Amino acid sequence: MSGRRSSIPRLATGLAFLLPNIVGFLAFTLVPLVISFFIAFTDWNILRHNLFRDDPLQFVGLRNFSWLFQQPDFWRYLGNTFFLMLGLPFAIAGSLGAALLLIRVDRRKARWRGAVAIATAVMVASGLLLFAGGMEARGVMFIFGSLIAVTLVAGVLTGGVVYRPLFYLPHFTAGVATYVLWKKLYDAQAGPINSVLVPVLECVTQAVRAMPGAFKWGLPVCCGLAVGVMAWWQFRRLRQHWEDGTAGPMAVLAGFATVAVPCGFLLNWTGRSIWLSIGLAMVLVLACSATILRRPRSWGPAAAKSAGLGAEVALALGLVPLLLLLVGSIVFGPELPAAAAAGFEPPNWLGNYDWAKPALMLMGLWAAIGSNNMILYLAGLSNIPPELYEAADIDGASPGQRFWHVTWPQLAPVTFFIFVMGVIYGLQGGFEMARIMTLGGPAGSTTTLSYFIYTEGFETGRLGYASAAAWVMFALVFALSLLSFRFGNRRLGD
Amino acid sequence: MKIPPDSASTRSGPWLHLLVTVLSLLMIAPFVWMVVTSFKSLTEAADPEWLPGKLRWGNYPEVFRVIPFLRFALNSFVIAGWVTLLQVFTSALAAYSFARLEWPGRDRVFFCYLGTMMLPSLVMLIPTFQLMVHFGLVDSYLGLILPAAFSPFGTFLLRQFMLGIPKALDEAAEIDGASKWRIFWDVILPLSRPGLVTLAIFTFMGNYHSFFWPLVMMKTVAKFPLPVGLMFFDSERGQATHLLMAAVTMSVVPLVLIFIFLQRQLIRGVQLGAVKG
Repeated sequence: MSGRRSSIPRLATGLAFLLPNIVGFLAFTLVPLVISFFIAFTDWNILRHNLFRDDPLQFVGLRNFSWLFQQPDFWRYLGNTFFLMLGLPFAIAGSLGAALLLIRVDRRKARWRGAVAIATAVMVASGLLLFAGGMEARGVMFIFGSLIAVTLVAGVLTGGVVYRPLFYLPHFTAGVATYVLWKKLYDAQAGPINSVLVPVLECVTQAVRAMPGAFKWGLPVCCGLAVGVMAWWQFRRLRQHWEDGTAGPMAVLAGFATVAVPCGFLLNWTGRSIWLSIGLAMVLVLACSATILRRPRSWGPAAAKSAGLGAEVALALGLVPLLLLLVGSIVFGPELPAAAAAGFEPPNWLGNYDWAKPALMLMGLWAAIGSNNMILYLAGLSNIPPELYEAADIDGASPGQRFWHVTWPQLAPVTFFIFVMGVIYGLQGGFEMARIMTLGGPAGSTTTLSYFIYTEGFETGRLGYASAAAWVMFALVFALSLLSFRFGNRRLGD
Repeated sequence: MKIPPDSASTRSGPWLHLLVTVLSLLMIAPFVWMVVTSFKSLTEAADPEWLPGKLRWGNYPEVFRVIPFLRFALNSFVIAGWVTLLQVFTSALAAYSFARLEWPGRDRVFFCYLGTMMLPSLVMLIPTFQLMVHFGLVDSYLGLILPAAFSPFGTFLLRQFMLGIPKALDEAAEIDGASKWRIFWDVILPLSRPGLVTLAIFTFMGNYHSFFWPLVMMKTVAKFPLPVGLMFFDSERGQATHLLMAAVTMSVVPLVLIFIFLQRQLIRGVQLGAVKG
């Protein structure tokens, strides 16, 4: 076997092949990293330290950091960054949904006759619209009608192969080009999004004016009932799972948080202070969990602490937006008739402080659904052994049970990978969108951490300050990825 | 939606196709609007109407008159091309060392190098720019190409690929008296071609899109790559939406072509890069 003598030349050969990368790493990673660390503790400002006026650099200790933390704007920008990351669960759900649909299309030999029949019907319908409709509508209908027909026929004939590139295209071209495009799509007057929304909102206005009573009283009452039923269903379900031993205490807490978060919003929207709302929501979670967790188990050992947490979190991602919508109608429903008198206006997406962030999230969602994540899910889905589904069928599992007990757990590693990557890149992201679409505005509502660092470093010229902000971001990325790896590994363990 | 792949009846087949068709058209609807708008006149583009009165093909030549579009595109291709060439080469060298050579501490060094992927590039941004100022590389192609010529991700991707090549091939070449370099160049590189192509696509795409670093580095308009050049239509000279859409359409075309022709490679690369990570 190899002795000690031969290990030195082998090390030399190995490193020789690495030489370009070592040089590159030193020049563009290690040296800048070290310099950046020192800059963060100096008062380097391009106004005072440049070719023409070369004041000596001064070490200011932690002053950059303390100044940073005292700025309310810094916390606001950090909040913006995290707010934009809230789109991540929707993107994951969207990618998974798209992958499930696409793989179903693939596995199933569609009867081509039926598909051709539908395609013909669509063609005829769009042709009719061409002759019947107005100038504007008929042209658009014709374009989309024929696109639908062509895609459908191509999709059926190729067994669904055509759909994947169409889903993947937004991600593939994502960059300056698509951001510029979306800026135009969101245009308040000339943008197509609002030109679609105007007639829709017009219909809503008419409906509210026609039946003010239904919207003033009927809608909130119905939504209130729906919320009550869902809360009761959640309570029953969690109790059942706790007794079966498929849900641990953390899952029960998460399950009740799903219900409590909309309740907290309800309190806040009806004028309570934010701290009171959070406090009461937490009391609600603890009280409900206590009633379940205090019950003795009828049989079997206690579930592991985090058992079933993944499924609860996934369910919450679907349930919370729905509940928020219902709660929103309870609170704002009575005000609808008054608002309808003035007529509903579509939002000025990128020009409005409150709408700019959701607008960016929506665009991010469009690019993220058909992204690499969908391809990973497709690969993950085709790797699930069919025996698992057969076993589930023998046990008489419903489609929902098959998803929660076979598909979702089998995909857990993929979901985890996508989540961690999303968090890491989400913290660093938002620069291109902000620079191209909004310049960080309006009033800083879309300024993320990365755009803040860019403006401080290259527009204001406070390099020391910008470096300090960059190191805060580094610390956040490091902490969050460490946290998710620890949490994720434990969860994947059971 | 939540029904697993192979369940349920086949009766809903055509309707499933219709659903997926409609969804996929929703995904490309913005592109349809983009192409349609690129044929409008300036006043029509400021109008919520979807369709132009007549197709104005003249918008496309107009783009070339207003901005040096070809020059921007050429810059993009030159920069992305050189980055791709260099990065694939350096990554292949490093991957060979990490996958096929035995040397003490190899795997530890590899995982440390891989870990540097987690470093946010923004932290290095300011010092790297100052280094570029120091070496006089600001506003030069070299300043854009060099920092992107090395990649832990590329090394990782190719290492995973090279690990799958049978060891016996190296050993046979070794017995024939081939040097390590010969083995790398004549045996391993030709066999890693699919991996190299995949990495090349990723790198090319990523650098064709790159916006941040060129925006910071380039001062001369004639040296702007396409993404930075597109901004001319949006800010400096007011809003020329119709020309902007024509330019964006043209800038997206190469991407679509690459995607159509190299789809299979790309999808395999995504899976290779992530599943074992």
